[in-house]
Amino acid sequence: MRIAIVRGGGVAGVTSRACLNSDALPPADAEALEERLRESGLLEMPEGPRRRPRHPDELLYAIIVEEGGTQRTLRFTDENLPDAVRSLVEWVDGRSESEHGIGPPG
Amino acid sequence: MTRMTCCSIAPPDLLARIVEEGDPAQRAAAVQTMAASASMRTQRAFVGRIAREFDQDVRALAFMQPPEAAEGVRQAVYDLQHGGRSQLPGDLVRAGDDPPVEDAAVNDVYGATEQTYDFYNEVYGRESVDGRDLELVSTVHYSTNFDNAFWNGAQMVYGDGSGRIFKVGALTGSIDVIAHELTHGVTQFTAGLEYSSQSGALNESFSDVFGSLVKQRSLGQTAEQADWLIGEGTLAPGLGTALRSLKAPGTAYDGDRQPAHMDDYVDLPDDGDPANDDGGVHVNSGIQNHAFYLAATAIGGYAWEKAGKIWFETLSGERLTPTADFQQAATATVEVAGELFGDGGEREAVETAWRQVGVLA
Repeated sequence: MRIAIVRGGGVAGVTSRACLNSDALPPADAEALEERLRESGLLEMPEGPRRRPRHPDELLYAIIVEEGGTQRTLRFTDENLPDAVRSLVEWVDGRSESEHGIGPPG
Repeated sequence: MTRMTCCSIAPPDLLARIVEEGDPAQRAAAVQTMAASASMRTQRAFVGRIAREFDQDVRALAFMQPPEAAEGVRQAVYDLQHGGRSQLPGDLVRAGDDPPVEDAAVNDVYGATEQTYDFYNEVYGRESVDGRDLELVSTVHYSTNFDNAFWNGAQMVYGDGSGRIFKVGALTGSIDVIAHELTHGVTQFTAGLEYSSQSGALNESFSDVFGSLVKQRSLGQTAEQADWLIGEGTLAPGLGTALRSLKAPGTAYDGDRQPAHMDDYVDLPDDGDPANDDGGVHVNSGIQNHAFYLAATAIGGYAWEKAGKIWFETLSGERLTPTADFQQAATATVEVAGELFGDGGEREAVETAWRQVGVLA
């Protein structure tokens, strides 16, 4: 399973990506990632944006989950990012196995 | 010293439930009912509090503002202690004439917010972001390792930075970033520029322009002396010098693709994809940014006095529609320059600047 978190907007206006592959994790941590993913509810949510962003410089999120040959993309703004999803994002950000990249929009 | 928040407004349970669970019309009615019960003395603070706690647009509550704002607290800083959006604004830690606290983030935000308020008030005669002395509320230590600062429609929100994009603590220490964000509040209450494509790029640019001007005034710099950078020194090591450069768009950080001319306009869709930046609002803002820099340096002196005044009148004087494009902004600024300063050098400097960036022929 692979999870990618794309963030855009914000005062910086840059696009950042954090990617984590469960294969890179020790088995217990890979299981913890699966558990957090289930708790986040991302696998049950309909794909697409929740609501158009209206606050200037608010962060926009796209969370892409790839598993078993399928891919789901969920989009949020900072305002409507569910707490359980934010917790997952912070967990992925905090893993040393995560790969991070930053670039301009587009 | 930390003071616990006193933000609970203890509304009647029914009204509170309607505000939280009702449809938009029910929410608005419940909020108005709750607001009507507040005394005139506390209305000004109450407006901001309701807007923050129940996500109401502050503009919809303008009817509550007393015609003459009373003397009193102009700002309050809260500490969220890494909580999330549902815990906003957090614990009140400094307000009114309170002395500095131990937390540098609180004091930095307090100082820069006051300087931004003073800038708008003393230079352009505007009282707070809404023009009616709305209390300026800021929350620091939002979320964990959060790489952003933003105006959420009712208050300022600051993260600490992760060290991957922003240096830890840099966002609350940057006066131009803080002024940039508060100017989004000014734009909300004035031109209301839609945050999409060209009108969104204008929205961003006005924030960059006045963010830079607040910094320039705090340093006593003329247009020639200023660095014209936004967020200088805030990015993590190795990423670049600043977030944006009005003097030389496209040179602020590694990979910066801001254009300085319409020939290089970056056409991105506004499709909700984070990578497309609401249609390139932080990219194409470079065009108006550079036009302002060219006009300000051509006019010379302190940029907030003439060029800034022209841009402020354009933003606040009902000169722009919410969906304004670059052409409308250019035409409006040239007209305003003529109205404020006659057909002298200022008008010519503004018109020439817009020609140099390819917006006017």
